[in-house]
Amino acid sequence: MTDRHRGEARFEALLAAEEKVEPPDWMPDGYRKTLIRQIAQHAHSEVIGMQPEANWISRAPTLKRKAILMAKVQDEAGHGLYLYSAAETLGITRDEMMRLLHEGKHKYSSIFNYPTLSWADIGCIGWLVDGAAITNQVMLTRCSYGPYARGMVRICKEESFHQRQGFEIMATLSRGTPAQRQMAQDGLDRWWWPSLMMFGPHDSASTHSRQSMEWKIKRVSNDDLRQQFVDMTVPQAEYLGLAIPDPDLRWNAERGHYDFGEIDWDEFWAVVKGNGPMNRERIAHKRAAWEDGAWVREAAAAYAARRRDAVA
Amino acid sequence: MDATLLSGDAVVIDARDVQSRVEAVPDPELPWVTISDLGVLRSTHIALGRAVVEVTPTWSGCPAMDAIRESIRLVLGEAGFTPEQMEINTTFSPAWTTDDITDAGRRKLAQAGIAPPRRPAEQPLGETLCPRCQSTGVRQVSEFGSTPCKALMVCRSCLEPFDRFKEL
Amino acid sequence: MAVTETSGLLTENPSAPRDSALFRYVLYQADDNLVLAQRMSAWISRAHDLEEDIALANIALDLLGRARMLLEYAGKLEGKCRTEDELAMFRSEREYTNLLLVEQPNGDFAYTMVRQFFFDAYQLGLWKALADSKDTTLAAIAGKALKEARYHLRHSSGWLVRLGDGTRESHRRTRQAVEELWRFVPEMFESEETCDRLAEAEVAVSPSQLRPAWIRRVRDTFSSAGLQIPGDRFSRSGGRSGFHTEHLGYLLAEMQWMQRSYPGMQW
Repeated sequence: MTDRHRGEARFEALLAAEEKVEPPDWMPDGYRKTLIRQIAQHAHSEVIGMQPEANWISRAPTLKRKAILMAKVQDEAGHGLYLYSAAETLGITRDEMMRLLHEGKHKYSSIFNYPTLSWADIGCIGWLVDGAAITNQVMLTRCSYGPYARGMVRICKEESFHQRQGFEIMATLSRGTPAQRQMAQDGLDRWWWPSLMMFGPHDSASTHSRQSMEWKIKRVSNDDLRQQFVDMTVPQAEYLGLAIPDPDLRWNAERGHYDFGEIDWDEFWAVVKGNGPMNRERIAHKRAAWEDGAWVREAAAAYAARRRDAVA
Repeated sequence: MDATLLSGDAVVIDARDVQSRVEAVPDPELPWVTISDLGVLRSTHIALGRAVVEVTPTWSGCPAMDAIRESIRLVLGEAGFTPEQMEINTTFSPAWTTDDITDAGRRKLAQAGIAPPRRPAEQPLGETLCPRCQSTGVRQVSEFGSTPCKALMVCRSCLEPFDRFKEL
Repeated sequence: MAVTETSGLLTENPSAPRDSALFRYVLYQADDNLVLAQRMSAWISRAHDLEEDIALANIALDLLGRARMLLEYAGKLEGKCRTEDELAMFRSEREYTNLLLVEQPNGDFAYTMVRQFFFDAYQLGLWKALADSKDTTLAAIAGKALKEARYHLRHSSGWLVRLGDGTRESHRRTRQAVEELWRFVPEMFESEETCDRLAEAEVAVSPSQLRPAWIRRVRDTFSSAGLQIPGDRFSRSGGRSGFHTEHLGYLLAEMQWMQRSYPGMQW
């Protein structure tokens, strides 16, 4: 048997035994590429996701909320860094991933192309967006690639803390004055559908899904995850006394799940293709930070090089 | 102290039981460890119809403290204390240090893949080990990590990215 | 201003005059940290790399955490049951007592780091001294702040050396920032009535006493960074008595906007 055959057999055996594939293990090119694409996209989402939330740091209504929000954004940056490191174990560098993001060749989660227009939006991001992300990430703790799966365990714990705080913002607004309740409802109206879109196209239209499921990178289908999220979130909205903006939403006793309406797929694809409300602003902001900081990176590199020469 | 006491509205409260439930409150972001493991819980006094708990913050900017206070209130509420019968005090002195994390807490952190802080915090001895392969060949990616208490590391041997609890 | 409490009840209390001076002193420290936290947090998502984004967020968060502890204590000392948010959100520019240095706009990264380095070096000395304060609460807060101040100073002084001794461009920007910000340095060490009175009682530290160690720290870092200490010249002060630069008003307008637009609500 050649090395390649031995590697392939071992890879298949690991998957079959529900064991983890680790960085030094042989893996098919397609598996490696799929993981790089997915982990990089996940990292980019954490990083771009800092922008809509950072938008409210300076205006947070109380110092406690300000501290929680700042910690949350720091957390996302930390998760981004962790995920870039996990992608690097597959043989790509962070600089390369950044370049692909800046050039629009790598994607990030479309949800962050929507603007945060009121304080309730910060609650909605915690409650709905983090809630949807956790639904997806809990699945990823069972992903076949070791560093990604283990990272997800820790990241999920931290995200759960933020989700709880997002829900608490919504609960406080819902118990508040009419102006606050209206703010909360308006937030839900605007964030509900984009949150459902976070799970991606229908299973029937998802190009990468089947292979990812076979490789055990993805363990649950897009539509099943979306259903889980809806089933979990509807009672929470009821508890808050807020109305979910979907006339077709109702409990289906036969299925034991909520039925819900159809996503506006035109909007979904428009945002994916770069024509959402904030796509251009998000990338422009990211590129501006990168370009404005070029002189700082050059200075740090020049200093480090001189230090190395001095030691050598 | 008698373990069984009466609270204000004559609910029987087992003081030791309440104390151990307060000790078992998990950290909201590192739920593998309790506030007692972390040394955040300084004392719990359960006396006639009154619970007095003293906590100390870790990093000044750590918002987990607000959540920890709420969790303690919840535990005391479940044990039958009314909000008026609870007192949760914050003390800053002596300032918390990572040396306050217990041995059990350190083991739990390592099991969760987080390298525990070295001791003593003022002049740490020894090296940080990769929590996965125990190699000492590790590299710091960033002194600041996802939470104020952690730095991000990468193992040169097994390539695992991992968090390290920073000495304070 | 809020500190001149003259109700009969308070004047009968022998500790009242000390409390009202201490209220003011604690507020100085709270305002310095709060205003700088607000400035630093504006960097989040704008730094030159992800590591620095995290570092700046973390430092801003520590400053905010410290400001909250101090504001809570100030509220207790004042005895009017004002919360941290009432103190932060409902005082005007003229009632804010922060140093002018911390309210200066972020500028470029060199400007932000020089501002931060000057402040970190000052805070390290301040908290070291206040750790021995006769006021036990202040001493306890200082003991806590001191540990973090070391991390902060290591970060900002590290950057000063990298930027000062990096490229010609980074050196030029850093030197320019030092020149522009130096006029706000003397204010940190200026003799001030409240500080001096409390220093006599060994509760506070007299600002001028902090100067020699500060100059030593700055000289050490500057020598590694290839930077010069500017000669003595024009300086600006007035922050402690509410005479600010025009920048503070906008910072407060943004920070206080929600509370002022929706008064009396829970968030």
